[in-house]
Amino acid sequence: MRIDRTHRSWLVASLAIFGVALLVYAAYRVPFASGSMGGTAAGLAFGSIGFAFMIFAALLGARKRMPVYRFGPAQTWMRGHLWLGLLSLPIILFHSGFRYGHGLTAWLMTLLIIVVLSGVFGAVLQHYMPLVMTREVTMETIYEEIGHVRAQLLEEAEELIKQATGVEKKAEVEGGEPDSSESAVAVMDEIAPLRNFYERELKPFLEKPGARGAALGDAAQARSAFAQLRTLVPASLHTTVEDLEGICEEERQLTLQSHLHLWLHSWLLLHIPLSLALILLGAIHAVMALRY
Amino acid sequence: MLFEELKTIQRQSDGTPIAAEDLLRLPVFKDISPQFLKKNANATVWRHFKRGDIVCREGEFGSTAFYILEGRASVALATPIAHVKAQGRPTGFLARLTSKLTSRLSPRQEDRREGEADRRSIPIDAPVDLAYDHPVAELGPGELFGEMTCMNYYPRSATVRAESDCTMLEMLRNVLDVLQKNKAFRAQLDETYRRRALDSHLRDVSLFRGLHQDFIDRLRDRVELMRFAPGQVICKQGDPADSFYLVRLGFVKVSENYPGGELVLAYLSRGDYFGEIGLLGGGTRTAACSALDHVEVVRISAEDFREMMDRYPEVRSGLERAARERQDANQQRLRMVRSVPLESFLAQGLMEAQSLLVLDLAKCTRCDACVTACADSHDGVTRLVREGLRFENFLVATSCRQCRDPLCMVGCPVGAIRRRNSLEVIIEDWCIGCGLCAKNCPYGNINMHSFAAQVEDHEHPGQKKAVVQKKATTCDLCTEHAEPSCVYACPHDAAHRVEPRDFFAGSLGQRVGKTGSART
Repeated sequence: MRIDRTHRSWLVASLAIFGVALLVYAAYRVPFASGSMGGTAAGLAFGSIGFAFMIFAALLGARKRMPVYRFGPAQTWMRGHLWLGLLSLPIILFHSGFRYGHGLTAWLMTLLIIVVLSGVFGAVLQHYMPLVMTREVTMETIYEEIGHVRAQLLEEAEELIKQATGVEKKAEVEGGEPDSSESAVAVMDEIAPLRNFYERELKPFLEKPGARGAALGDAAQARSAFAQLRTLVPASLHTTVEDLEGICEEERQLTLQSHLHLWLHSWLLLHIPLSLALILLGAIHAVMALRY
Repeated sequence: MLFEELKTIQRQSDGTPIAAEDLLRLPVFKDISPQFLKKNANATVWRHFKRGDIVCREGEFGSTAFYILEGRASVALATPIAHVKAQGRPTGFLARLTSKLTSRLSPRQEDRREGEADRRSIPIDAPVDLAYDHPVAELGPGELFGEMTCMNYYPRSATVRAESDCTMLEMLRNVLDVLQKNKAFRAQLDETYRRRALDSHLRDVSLFRGLHQDFIDRLRDRVELMRFAPGQVICKQGDPADSFYLVRLGFVKVSENYPGGELVLAYLSRGDYFGEIGLLGGGTRTAACSALDHVEVVRISAEDFREMMDRYPEVRSGLERAARERQDANQQRLRMVRSVPLESFLAQGLMEAQSLLVLDLAKCTRCDACVTACADSHDGVTRLVREGLRFENFLVATSCRQCRDPLCMVGCPVGAIRRRNSLEVIIEDWCIGCGLCAKNCPYGNINMHSFAAQVEDHEHPGQKKAVVQKKATTCDLCTEHAEPSCVYACPHDAAHRVEPRDFFAGSLGQRVGKTGSART
């Protein structure tokens, strides 16, 4: 979600909550400067509020799994997730009196910090990356379709080469069998660079676009390679070269899209499980603290 | 027996070409050139049907027309008369919270739609219309059906079944084309139309419902039935207005010329009318009308039209109101066409849309929550695809655009796709699932929804069998809810349903007012 002006009310509300919490903390902390904060009335209140914020933030996942249920617009839940989730960190710090603790509380604090930081990291990514993807990947497709589109690109390239090779075969037929005419040999010589380029450079790139060191994976190097190829083949094949260059460009864009997509979503692999662990351990901590 | 001549003809088995000399004995072929019939010897064949046999099925593609020589046949719609609808509106707080939409067929008794009260018949490709509340009719000797399929290759509009042993001629387009130029044959078809369909056709236009029977009887003999070939101009913009037209068959394109090109104002199909603006206004045609395919119209002369206006003030006021609405909408479109500067806006057909699902790509994280929500709302079948053309930073998703120039409506063999007054495209209950609208939509926004139905088993009379049938569906904007599910479920504030010219007004360097009520 892009953090823009539409978040102003959430920002103001969050700052207000933070301000009030800070004042309360300051008021309560001074008399108990040396003691534990968590067990005091204010500490318990901070703990409860912070945990409630965490639970609300975690419920976003459940909300997303029930998209048609009218529990309120999903974007409201997302805004709440962002701001209340962020607020939970200072509130919990107030709850702990800025102490890291031992055992379960230390685990909890570590998890909270990682969850909040990974969330902030994700929010930053989701703020910038969609725009980057829109700008850089003009031939974007549905992520799940990338494999299919890649297969199609390879087929198209094969077809283009076949068509060019068709010229070669025609020359063979015209020259008789076995083909020994000078014109047929000349045509074969002209096409050879295109075929070699395809077999050695383009095909491996299209088959394994992510492979390290593939020259065609770099736009500048690819431009240079195709420019050189144009000088080696007759003008009649320049359209084919241009089409192959287009395929190569689309392949690069798909690779970039895959990378950006991974960046956009892979942080969730850390954020979500740790959030669930945090909620679970938080609940255990609350029960243990209240009981014992 | 209508055709006494049949007694003198030796009938051949089903599917056998009928000899030219035998054809020439039938009155309808009397004036046709024998050379033509000999050259096209295989273009007309005998068809014999036993009682209960199916002659043709709705939705099937074909290229022939049938002419009944003897026997009777029923024509009906086999597809359930119902529309695909999201499951009913939730009531109560908890139900609203937890309501999950599902698609199902909703019969009209349960969910009567706006505008249905005006509808009395369903247009089909036969000389009769089907009664709206009981869509079954009978055809007899001397009647032709399948004309639109034969001439325009549209899917069959209804299922025809032999009610008694029938003998028919099945003919290809070249023969039908020549027959239609034959005065005797035309006169017979026209007489059948005047006798059986003109009345219901006129009365199906809500504005003409108040006409008295005596006036319709008078019109019956005075109207002219005209035919136009594909592309033929029916009337030109600026010509003197001398008649009012009712579309009987085919599709008519209404367009206006403006600097830089032609603007399509509407496609009119059976039951629609045109020419009233010129007659009511300054006496000249304000738009050009041309035949999109093989078109037949009922022409009412200016004199009869004026008499109708004088005798029936309510018809006059209704027509005047409709004409004003059309003119206002057309003016608005013209103003907009002149002022919209961006070529891509035009090229992507965005100008034609009145409601777009746009995804702000600067905010969209490609999480597909919108698609999931749409699928969850409609039995797991999404009505939107998160792919489409881009306009600036916005992706125009593949979801119904409620086009002002609804190409999806061209060719529907039963006229089942229409627009509400709000211009929202809806698919009527009598959709036969032929899929032509889905094929015609340039943006791929109409889907075919499969469902199980019980139909009569012709192999075992009296029994029913379960079959999978289809109905066309398009985005219903989740009208059960205040906001479409796709928009509601987007966590990133990226999905919006918008009026395109308003939404993109900033990009177009202007502010264009909303045109929600515009009508062509």
